[in-house]
Amino acid sequence: MIETTTETTTGPDVVELLIGQHMRIRDLFARVEESEGARRREAFADLVRMLAVHETAEELVVHPAARAAIEGGDDVVDDRLAEENHAKHLLKRLDDAGPDAPEFPDLLELLRVAVLDHASHEEQHEFRYLRRNLSPDRLAALAGAVRAAEKFAPTHPHPGAESATANLAAGPALAVFDRVKDAVRAAVGDSDR
Amino acid sequence: MSFNPLEHRGIPLDRQLRNWRELNVDPIDPDHADPYTRCRIITMNGIEVEALMFSHQFARNCADMDVKRQLAEVRYLEQQQQKVVNWLLPGTVSALETTIAYEQVAVDLTAWVARMEPDPYLTQAYQFGVLEDFDHLYRYANLYEMIQHRKAEKIVNGLTEVIPGRPTKYHHRHPADNVRAPYDRTTTAPISKLHALTIMSAEQQTMNFYMNVGPQYMEPIARQLYQEIGLIEEEHVTHYESLVDPGETWWERLVLHEYNECYLYHSFMQTESDRRIKAIWELHLNMELEHLRVACDLLRTHDGREPEEVTGPALPEPVTFEPNKAYLRELLDTQIDLTTLGEGYVRDAHERFERMQEALNGDGPPPSETVIDEHRERFGQDYRLSTEGEHPVEELRAPQPTGTTGGQR
Repeated sequence: MIETTTETTTGPDVVELLIGQHMRIRDLFARVEESEGARRREAFADLVRMLAVHETAEELVVHPAARAAIEGGDDVVDDRLAEENHAKHLLKRLDDAGPDAPEFPDLLELLRVAVLDHASHEEQHEFRYLRRNLSPDRLAALAGAVRAAEKFAPTHPHPGAESATANLAAGPALAVFDRVKDAVRAAVGDSDR
Repeated sequence: MSFNPLEHRGIPLDRQLRNWRELNVDPIDPDHADPYTRCRIITMNGIEVEALMFSHQFARNCADMDVKRQLAEVRYLEQQQQKVVNWLLPGTVSALETTIAYEQVAVDLTAWVARMEPDPYLTQAYQFGVLEDFDHLYRYANLYEMIQHRKAEKIVNGLTEVIPGRPTKYHHRHPADNVRAPYDRTTTAPISKLHALTIMSAEQQTMNFYMNVGPQYMEPIARQLYQEIGLIEEEHVTHYESLVDPGETWWERLVLHEYNECYLYHSFMQTESDRRIKAIWELHLNMELEHLRVACDLLRTHDGREPEEVTGPALPEPVTFEPNKAYLRELLDTQIDLTTLGEGYVRDAHERFERMQEALNGDGPPPSETVIDEHRERFGQDYRLSTEGEHPVEELRAPQPTGTTGGQR
């Protein structure tokens, strides 16, 4: 599990950061829906990168913590991972079709509903209990790892990370997920994997 | 032209019962639905909840077994209506997001009613109340950005401004000063009775909602803000329910409740932008017409009166959700510093008001101030959505670097 110890209890905790990401994802979907042509391709790339960053942070940081800290945590996390896999499958279909395809809006709608439902389940069944069961220090430490991942997020570019971000975002959507995961692992260290 | 619910037959009661499949409605989409569709849903839920609670109170005060059975039968159907209406709200949004929608209802519904109300004393009551709901919207919007990292403009979609109203800390009046004088049931216009019932129901549902969802939050500032504004909803329910003539008989009140439901479903059927939701309003109207017929028969039997004496000849203009920005800005400009004294309104901070203020706010700032202070601390300024220029009240204008939002006293 990845955790950094340099961050302390100041600033938002991990749950707050993740809820903020859910809201940004929600608004990025709206941006893709509203745009066309080159702007849509750009907005879609932003959305893919944000999804990659968010799911990476959850997979490497939040879900392992939830397995240990929540009663029935393994089952709760397994349900979330199944939802994530379903969403990734939809994302691949969407990505294969491409932003200019006629079926893109319908596929995007399927993905949007899947992602928002998944986010809502996390907030209700996972985050709420993380906050109840983990100490403020631990929540802040987890936040540090999420912030490290967030350096690759589109709406909060980190100084010096722009070129890395551009490289990460090139190519198929699922490859972006893999590269973001590697980059996050490298950035924050991987203590027990 | 105008619709008279007393002249239409609805769906017979024995054909109104819905099965699980029919009750299992798809919710609206939180990001694509018309904000005013969500406002209509929240309004009709409040109306149905009031209908249910009124019917329960009636049954508890009624010795006639036949009437109790009739009330129970209609009430069960109204419970199903409430389930369909409120279950149109999506489960994927937070209680706070729904709260902001509740405040949008309170602002734009109350402003519309104030504009349409013929009785000046009642108009003043709505104008007074709406400036407080307007400020609640602003406080909750700041909380929303703080704990959910999203701007309330995504919810209200620019239809309603989010700027300070009468500062929430000044809403805490002595409870005796929340009791208004009632209209006279024998002389008031029927529309005035419907307005009072509508706004009372909406505020009552808001009160119920806040008293139940407030403790679901873990963030201390959220828990505290729901307590504070929840207590103001108690004041608002007292304020609006006292406008209703207590001399109305139970039968008369039952007719008015059913008639008002017809009025609102009919209004929303005419103004609804979503075809699927419009069909629900139409179905419920056709159910309510029958509930109204039953109530009218009870009125004739037990009160010996014709329903037209209570309701008037036809429905008024449809209740419409629409922006009220200019109207609200005018009220901000002219009525921001009002409070109540007895049954009327004054501009002085009178002794009883000051005592209540000292008791609640004397030992430390109220949560409604803290939420703005904390927001400014974290984001550098308070959250506002101002689409029509600068704030009409100078003291509430530019975000000050530190301290409170409302210096008027």
